[in-house]
Amino acid sequence: MKKGLTLEKFEEARAEILRDREIQKTGITICLGTGCHAYKCLEVSQAFKDETERQNLLDVVEVRTTGCHGFCERGPIVVIQPKGIFYQRVQPNDVKEIISKTIKNNEIVDRLLYVDPKTEEKIVYEKEVPFYKKQERIIFGNNGFLDPTDIIDYIALGGYEALSKVLFEMTAEEVISEVKESGLRGRGGAGFITGSKWEICRDVSSDTKYIICNADEGDPGAYMDRSLLEGNPHSVIEGMIIGAYAIGALDGYIYVRKEYPLAVKNVMIALDQARKLGLLGESILGSEFHFDIHVVQGAGAFVSGEETSLMASIEGRRAFPRQRPPFPAQKGLWGKPTNINNVETWANIPYIIKNGAEWYSSIGTRKSKGTKIFSLVGKINNTGLVEVPMGITLREIIYDIGGGIKNNKKYKAVQTGGPSGGCIPAEMLDLPIDFETLTKAGSIMGSGGMIVMDEDTCMVDVARYFLDFTQDESCGKCVPCRMGNLQMVEILTRITEGKGEEGDIERLEDLAKTVKEGSLCGLGQTAPNPVLTSIRYFRDEYEAHIKRKSCPALVCKNLIAYYIEPEKCVGCLLCLKNCPSEAISGERKEVHVIEQDLCIKCGACFDVCPPKVLAVSKLTGKKKEKILKRRK
Amino acid sequence: MKVIINKKIIEVEAHKTILEVARENGLFIPSLCDHSRLEPFGGCRLCIVEIKGRKGYFPSCSTYVEDGLEVRTETPKIKMLRREILELILSEHPHSCLICTEKEHCDEYKSTIRKVGEVTGCVLCSNNSRCELQDVVEALKIKRISFPALYRNFEIRKDDPFFDRNYNLCILCGRCVRICQEVRGASTISFAFRGSRAVVGTVLDRTLLESGCQFCGACVDVCPTGTLAERAVKPESLPDESLRTICPLCSLGCELKVELNEGRILRSVPSEQGAANRGQACVKGRFTLRDVVYSQQRIKRPLIRKKGELEEVDWEEALSYAAEELKKYKGTEIAVISSLQGTNEEIYLFHKFAHEALKTKNLDNSAHFSPLISYCDWIQEKGFSSEVNFKVEDISEAKTIFLIGSDLTVSNPIIGLEVIKAVRNGGNLVIINPQEIRLGRYASFWVKIKPGTDFFLLLSLAKTLIEEGELGDLSRIEGFESLNKSLDKIDVSRVFEITGVSENDLKDISKLLLEEKPPVFIFGLGLTQHPWGEENIAALWNLALLCEAQLIPLGLENNIRGELEIRRHFGTSGLSFNQIIQAARDNSLKALYLAGPFPYLVKEKPEFLVIQDSYSCENMNHADVVLPGATFAESEGTVTNLEGRIQKLNKIIEPQGEAKPDWWIIAHIAQKMGYKSFNYRKPSQILNEVKKAIPAFTDVSYPLLEKGEEIFCNEETEKKSKLIPVEYKLSSSSRKKDFPLLLLVNYNLDYYKSLNLSKEIKGLRKIRDSRWIKINPQDAAELKIEDGEEVEVESSSQRVRGIARIEDTIPHGIIDGSFLWSENPEFSIARFLSEFNPESFSLKMIPVRIRKGYKRKDNK
Repeated sequence: MKKGLTLEKFEEARAEILRDREIQKTGITICLGTGCHAYKCLEVSQAFKDETERQNLLDVVEVRTTGCHGFCERGPIVVIQPKGIFYQRVQPNDVKEIISKTIKNNEIVDRLLYVDPKTEEKIVYEKEVPFYKKQERIIFGNNGFLDPTDIIDYIALGGYEALSKVLFEMTAEEVISEVKESGLRGRGGAGFITGSKWEICRDVSSDTKYIICNADEGDPGAYMDRSLLEGNPHSVIEGMIIGAYAIGALDGYIYVRKEYPLAVKNVMIALDQARKLGLLGESILGSEFHFDIHVVQGAGAFVSGEETSLMASIEGRRAFPRQRPPFPAQKGLWGKPTNINNVETWANIPYIIKNGAEWYSSIGTRKSKGTKIFSLVGKINNTGLVEVPMGITLREIIYDIGGGIKNNKKYKAVQTGGPSGGCIPAEMLDLPIDFETLTKAGSIMGSGGMIVMDEDTCMVDVARYFLDFTQDESCGKCVPCRMGNLQMVEILTRITEGKGEEGDIERLEDLAKTVKEGSLCGLGQTAPNPVLTSIRYFRDEYEAHIKRKSCPALVCKNLIAYYIEPEKCVGCLLCLKNCPSEAISGERKEVHVIEQDLCIKCGACFDVCPPKVLAVSKLTGKKKEKILKRRK
Repeated sequence: MKVIINKKIIEVEAHKTILEVARENGLFIPSLCDHSRLEPFGGCRLCIVEIKGRKGYFPSCSTYVEDGLEVRTETPKIKMLRREILELILSEHPHSCLICTEKEHCDEYKSTIRKVGEVTGCVLCSNNSRCELQDVVEALKIKRISFPALYRNFEIRKDDPFFDRNYNLCILCGRCVRICQEVRGASTISFAFRGSRAVVGTVLDRTLLESGCQFCGACVDVCPTGTLAERAVKPESLPDESLRTICPLCSLGCELKVELNEGRILRSVPSEQGAANRGQACVKGRFTLRDVVYSQQRIKRPLIRKKGELEEVDWEEALSYAAEELKKYKGTEIAVISSLQGTNEEIYLFHKFAHEALKTKNLDNSAHFSPLISYCDWIQEKGFSSEVNFKVEDISEAKTIFLIGSDLTVSNPIIGLEVIKAVRNGGNLVIINPQEIRLGRYASFWVKIKPGTDFFLLLSLAKTLIEEGELGDLSRIEGFESLNKSLDKIDVSRVFEITGVSENDLKDISKLLLEEKPPVFIFGLGLTQHPWGEENIAALWNLALLCEAQLIPLGLENNIRGELEIRRHFGTSGLSFNQIIQAARDNSLKALYLAGPFPYLVKEKPEFLVIQDSYSCENMNHADVVLPGATFAESEGTVTNLEGRIQKLNKIIEPQGEAKPDWWIIAHIAQKMGYKSFNYRKPSQILNEVKKAIPAFTDVSYPLLEKGEEIFCNEETEKKSKLIPVEYKLSSSSRKKDFPLLLLVNYNLDYYKSLNLSKEIKGLRKIRDSRWIKINPQDAAELKIEDGEEVEVESSSQRVRGIARIEDTIPHGIIDGSFLWSENPEFSIARFLSEFNPESFSLKMIPVRIRKGYKRKDNK
C-alpha cells in the first residue's frame, strides 16, 4: 500500500511551493516561542492578523507565527521581513503603529527598536543586534523564518531535501560515513561521535531496531531542545528519518516531557503532516524504506533523560537506569538494538547531509565540530538561546552576546552543563568551549545549559543548591547516588549554616569521589561536579564559611547580620515599617537599630532603604562579630 | 571462553555474570541486591570490581563475562569504595548494634523481647542472625560509620495479614519489588518517590490487601533485612533445625523447608531444591502450615461414645471397640470414605482395608471433583489411553498455552507461575473463562465466554482449524472422517451469538494453536465439573489431537494422582461418592467409616460411624468412635503430585497428643479384626507392598527420594486414541424464572482434613473467605446487596448462607461461591450436592436466587 507522494510528485510540489513564494510579500514574523508566550505574544499575533485583515493588506502582507528566535529577554519579538527590521517587547497596542508606519510607509518605529546598552545606539536590523552578531545560527536560524505548524514553510526552505538525497542517492553506509566525517558529536552530554554510534547499531544484526529522540530536557533553565521542537520540529524529524535509514530502524520514538505541551503539540502536527505527504510511514517517497515515529510523553523525572532509564520509561516501567554494557546499540528498547540521540543532534543531521561533511567540519575546533546551542541564563543582560561555533570563548558568549553581567556587577562563575556541570571561574573566561576543555575544567558540555553567576553568589550555597536538586532527582536505585549525595547535601547545608567543621572539605571530596566512581549512571557520576569545581576554584569561600564563619558573598543567612550604620541612617521609618518580624526599633529622624535576636534575615530593610541613604549593610565574619559586640 | 579473575585463569560459560563465576570458584564478593532467581539489578554497588582496560568500576552482578576479561575483585581502591558504600547504606539503617563493641556479650544482658514496635538495632530486630546486611558488615569488617545517621522515621505498616513492613530497615535493594514482578507476575509493590525519599510501596500507599497481594511471601523470603517480617515468628527464637517436606495443600506438592526450634515448628518456607516449586510457595504453604498443625481443633485422644457422650479412651480400647463393631458389617452394608490428603501408602492401605478387611467395594472419596479423574475416567470409558505425566517445565517452555476453566492463581498458584514464565519467554496465553482471572493480564486472548458455552466454542475452534487447512493430512488421524462429518452441523458463524467470542478472535486463536511447537492445554473444573463435562472433554480431546497438543488436567487434593493409580489397581465397582452420600441419607448403609471429607449428616445416622480425622468436626456429633489421625508433619511416606512426580513426605515433629498416622490406625484395626496381612511397623513396609502390586510405583524408594532423585509414576507407553464424533444440541437456557442467577461453584481447596483454613487462619480469611458469595456490582446494586453483608442463596430445594462480596470480575447474571467440605452446615454449598445428578459431579450452572439477610428455617 503506497499512500504518500513519490519523489517526483514531492519535487513537483516543492517547485510549486517555491513558485508561490516568488511573489515577495512583506512578512511579519512573530515569535511564538514559550518565552514570548509569557509576554502575550498570542495577543500580539492576533492583533496583527486582525489589523492586516481590517486594512485589506492580506495580498501584500503575510503574518507568520514562528518558533523561538532565541532573544527571549526582549520578547515578544516581531521581525519585518524581508528586510529584517527587529522590533522588541512589542505589545498589542503597538500593532497599529507598526502597520501604518513600517508596512505601509517604510518608516521605522523608533521606540520599539533595541538599544545597545554599551553604545546606547538604536539598532534597526535583526542581524545587527549584538546578541545575534557573533552567533552562527545554522540549526536554530530557520526558527525565525518558518511556521512550525506548517510543513510547507519547512519545504520551502529546502526541508526534506536531505532526506530525498539520502533515500535515492546514498547507501546507508555512505550516510554513516558522511556523518562520521562531519565530526558531529552527541549534543546530549557525553559527546560520543554520532556516526560511530550509528555504525555500531547498524552492525548489530537484528530483525527489529529502534531509534529514539531524547527530548527529555530536564536541566533547570535549559530549553534549547524545547525551542527546537517547538520552532522547527521537521528538522528533528528529518534527521530521525535519515538516521533510521542509516541504521535500519523501522520505528522511532520521540520521548518528550509532558511539561512541554507546545513542543508535544507541534511535533504531533508535524508528524501528521509528514505522514500525509508520504515522508513517514510505508515506502517513504516511493522508496523501499518504511519508518514511522511515535511520541511518548515523559512524566518529568530528571533521570528519564538518562538513556537506559528513558527506554525503561518508554517500556512503561519506572525510569530506572541500568548497568551498561550491554549498551543500547546492542540491547536497547525492548531488548532490541537502539540508537538514541538528543534533539539537537538529530536537528544537525539534515544540514550535514545537505551541505556535506566537509562544510560541517570546517566549523568548530579540531575535535569538536559544528555549532552548539546554549541556553544563556542567570545574572546576564541578554538571556536567551544562543548558537555559536565550537571553540568560541566564554568571554565572547557572556560579554559580546550576553551583553555582560546584570547591573554592572562583577562576574563570578558560569555553570555549564546543567545541575551536574561544574562552575568555571573568571580566570578561565578565555577558555575556548569544546567538549575537551570543559571536561578538563572539571565541568561538562552537557546539553548546553549556561548559568551565569555574579559576585553576589555564594559558591557554597550554589553547590548546595545544585546538589540538592540532583539528590532530589536521583532515582534511588543505587546507593552512592541516593545516600552519598544526601550526605553531601547535609554537610554543605551545615557549612552554609555556619556549623562547618574542620575536615568537611576533605569529607566532601572523599564522598564526591565515592559517588562519582560508585554510581550507576551519568546522573550520579556527574552530580558532585558543582561541589568539586567550586572547591577547586573557590576553596577560600569554603574555608571562610568553615573557619571564619563568614560568607564572603553575604548570602548564607546564618552567617550574616543586617546592620544599620548609625552614621548613615536618616530615620525615615521605611525599614521599620517593612520589617515583618518587628525587629527594628527607632523613632522618626532617629537612628534605627535592628534587634539581632528578632531579625529573620529576610533582607526587607536592605531592599527598602532608599538608594540615596543605603544605611543597611550586610555583615559577616569578623566584621560582623566586631560591630555586633561593639553594639552590645 | 576464559576469564582471568585475580590473576587466576578460569574456564567459563558465556551468559554468566562475573559474580556467578566468582562464587562458583569460591571467591567472595559482597553483594546485597543480587539474588539467584532475579535479573541483575546493580543497585547496591557492593559487588563492584575492576576490569582491565575499562574505565571505572563495574558491578559484578550485572556485568557478563567476555572472553579474555581480566577482573580484579580485591584492590585497595575497591575495598575502600565498598566500605564507604556500605557505610552509606548503614547511615540510613539502624546500625548501632552492628558496630557495637560489646555485641559479642550482648546476649547475656539484653532483654529477650523482640515485640517492640521500633527496631533501633539488631538485637531488637526479628531478622537478627539471619540478616544479610549483618553478614556483609562482618565480612567488610566495618567498625565505625563516618557519616551521621539519617533515619527515615517511617510508620511501620502493620495493617496487612501475616507480615509487617518496616521500611526504616529497607536498603532499597529492590528484591521484593523484583520477585513480585519477575517471578510472581503480580507487581503488587513497586518503588515510589525519588531521591532520598525513594521507598518501596503500593499504589497510593494502600494496604497490600487492597492492592491485590496474594501473600505468597516471596518478598519476605528474599528480603535481606528485617524490613519484611513475618509476624508470627517475630517474638520467637531462631530455628535450631530445618527439615524438608512436602506441602499437603494442593496437588502440586511444593517442597518446603520447615524450621523448628526445640522440636516446635516456627515457620515453613519454600525450598530452593523443590523440583516442582523451585523456591516458591503460595500463601498456604508459606504462612498457614504452623497454625494447621497446632490448631486448637486438633483431636488429641481417641474417643468412644458412651451413654450418648464421647469420652476419651486409650488406643487399645478404641481400636478393639472399632474392630469388634466393624466385624459386624460386610459388603454393601458398609462404606469407606478415604482422604486424598494422605500418603500413597495410606491411600493404598484404605483400599486394601476396604477390600480385604471390610470386604466391601464401597470405597470412594472426593476424587471425582478433580478434572484429572474426570478426564481419566472418560479416557478409560472410551477405551483410549494417554499419558498424564508432565513436568512443570513443559508449561514454561510452551509456545502456546490454552487455559480453560481454571483460575490458576488461586487453585494452583505455582503452576500459574510457570504460565507467566512461558509468557515472559515469548509464549502466548489464551484464557477461556467467563470470569476475569489474575493471569488475564498475561493473556494474548482472554476469551470472556458466556457461561456454559465452552462446548460450542471448542467445536467451532476445531472446525476453524480444519477449515484453515494448515493441519496437513488429517486422514492420518483415526476417526477424522466421522468427526468432520459431525462438525457439519456446527455453524461457526453463530459463534459470536452463542459464546460471545468473535469469529476473528477464533481465527487468531486457531493460528496460535498452529505454532511450530505443539500447544499445551491446561484445563480445570470449569470445563469438567459441568453439566456438559463429558462433552467438553470430548471436544477438547479432539482439538488436542488435531493440533497435537499436550493435555494437562488439573487436580485438586495433594495426592489425587496417587489415588488415580491406586484406584485403577483396586477397581471402582462399588458405590460412588455421590451414591454413598445418597445411601447415607436414605439409611441404606449400616456403617460408615469416614476418613475423608463428607457432607454433614443432618438427621440420618448410620448404625455405626467411625471418624478418623485430625480435627474435630460437625459429624463427630454422630460418631461412635473417633480416631485422632496425625497430620502431614507428623507422619512419613510418599506422595504423588499432579505431574506424576513421587516425593517424600518427612516426619517433622512428634504427633500432637496421642494422634497416630492414618496407616498406623488402619493397620491396627485390621490386625485387631484378625487380618495378619496388615502387620506393618513402618510405612516403608507398605511401600514395598505397593511397589510389587502396582507397576506405577515400581521405581519408588525412600533412600533414592531422600537422595534427591527424580521419580515419576510409570505409565503405560502404549497410546490409544482417535477422534470421536460429537453432537451439539442447543441447550435451552438453564436459567429459570424464579431463579434468575446461575451459581458457579468453585471447589475450594482451603481445607486440610476437617480444618477450614480460612476459618482457622485470620489472614487467609481476609484474602478469601470460604463464605464469600461473589456477585457482580450491577446485580448487587439491583438487589440492593452491599459488600460484606449476609445473604442467602436459594435454589429450588436448598438454601445456604453467605457473605456478599462484590467483584467486577464476576459477569452479570452469575454468582460465584466456594464449595468447602469443612464449612459449617448452614454455610456449606455442599448442600447443593443433592441437586446433582448422582452420576455426575457437576459444580456449575445451578439456577439460584439471592437475597439480603438470612431467615432461619425454624422461624417459619
